[in-house]
Amino acid sequence: MAADMDPTKRWTIHIRDTDEHYDCDAGQHLLKGMLQLGRKGIPSGCHGGGCGVCKIRIVSGEVETITMSRAHVSEEEQQQGYALACRCFPRSDVSLDVVGKMQKTVCKRRYGFV
Amino acid sequence: MGVMRIGHINIRVLDMPAALKHYEDVLGLIRTDEDSAGNVYLKGWDEWDKYSVMLSPADRAGMNHIAYKVENDADLDTLKKRIADYGTDVEEVPAGQLPYCGRALRFWLPSGHLMYLYAEKDFVGKSVGTTNPEPWPDGLKGAGAHWLDHALLMCELDPERGVNKVAEATKFMKEVLDFRLCEQVMVGPDGDIQAATWMARTSTPHDIAFVGGPKMGLHHCAFFLDEWNDVLKAADIMAKHKVKIDVTPQRHGITRGYTIYFFDPSGNRNETFAGLGYLSQPDMPVITWTEEELGRGIFYHTGELNEAFTTVYTEGA
Ligand code: FES
Ligand SMILES: [Fe+2]
Repeated sequence: MAADMDPTKRWTIHIRDTDEHYDCDAGQHLLKGMLQLGRKGIPSGCHGGGCGVCKIRIVSGEVETITMSRAHVSEEEQQQGYALACRCFPRSDVSLDVVGKMQKTVCKRRYGFV
Repeated sequence: MGVMRIGHINIRVLDMPAALKHYEDVLGLIRTDEDSAGNVYLKGWDEWDKYSVMLSPADRAGMNHIAYKVENDADLDTLKKRIADYGTDVEEVPAGQLPYCGRALRFWLPSGHLMYLYAEKDFVGKSVGTTNPEPWPDGLKGAGAHWLDHALLMCELDPERGVNKVAEATKFMKEVLDFRLCEQVMVGPDGDIQAATWMARTSTPHDIAFVGGPKMGLHHCAFFLDEWNDVLKAADIMAKHKVKIDVTPQRHGITRGYTIYFFDPSGNRNETFAGLGYLSQPDMPVITWTEEELGRGIFYHTGELNEAFTTVYTEGA
């Protein structure tokens, strides 16, 4: 599907891991739309492209990205479709895999913080 | 004598205009200079040295270095020897290499964070001056933060591999730089693993903190506000500016501070920290938090660590 730059458009995003779909406006980042699913376990952190927890891989479709910390997505990875969901704005329907993971719940931490 | 206080933090930002909107319009810091490399220097209205925040344009978020100010130039000689005697490489850099500062010591903490010590920095003065000053200046933006208060550095902690950089950094700060341990978190089956520490040189509960995590990094840097009402107002300002808030106004059990955790536009965590907590003194006994009450230590009201606390942070070097 060709990229569409119209910022008012709404696109359908497919999370392949859970086979879920959600709608995301072109002016809203992919993570924000994903969080509106209201599901637990969605890797959400800084919303600034700095922490890397929201890492995804775009399998198909077009997104426009803004600055992402190279600590989490190298140029090579970016070419392979890796991105940070909080820095991607859809420009077509998108299909993605979730790559980043939040550390599991507190009870699994054996030493307080780790 | 020795280290007086936190001097500045050098933070990497991905988008300078967005960063400036945040640090100026939301936090209310004041821009004092900009250099040819694009670094921007800012200070709180209540600070007198030229800057406490140096923002550097970069393609990865995080901290480049943190700097503390010592009282006298001669302290640099004393501390240089002590750092070297401890077995840590230390380099003396000439005046000006650390921007707008005199000669400085440059060394890496055992946790892998880069630290500088300096005795002199260009003077700008408080916004209210020194003669019959008003209690606060007109025209402050956003939260109107007073000063850079402290930073929390994440240190690698993996007890099963025998790695505890929290303990190593704490030992260094105590034995070499004379920081006092005010509070600590002890974990593990025998409660003998030091998983987090809060240390001071001033009379506040902390000028630096170390917390164990999967890898080293910058957890947050914190800016001082007077009191609880200022914290609420700061949160309103953040909401207005659509700042990503991590933890809404709450109290820390540890240090007793009133806090908000939030992120700058590059994903570096900031904090507004209010209240003086308590008077910390050299003869104050160390406060210990146990693993069971650790959640309450960090977030006193919810009593639970949020998931982001030890997973979401930016690079520390
Ligand atoms: S949430 Fe931190 S990089 Fe996206
Ligand atoms: Fe803090």
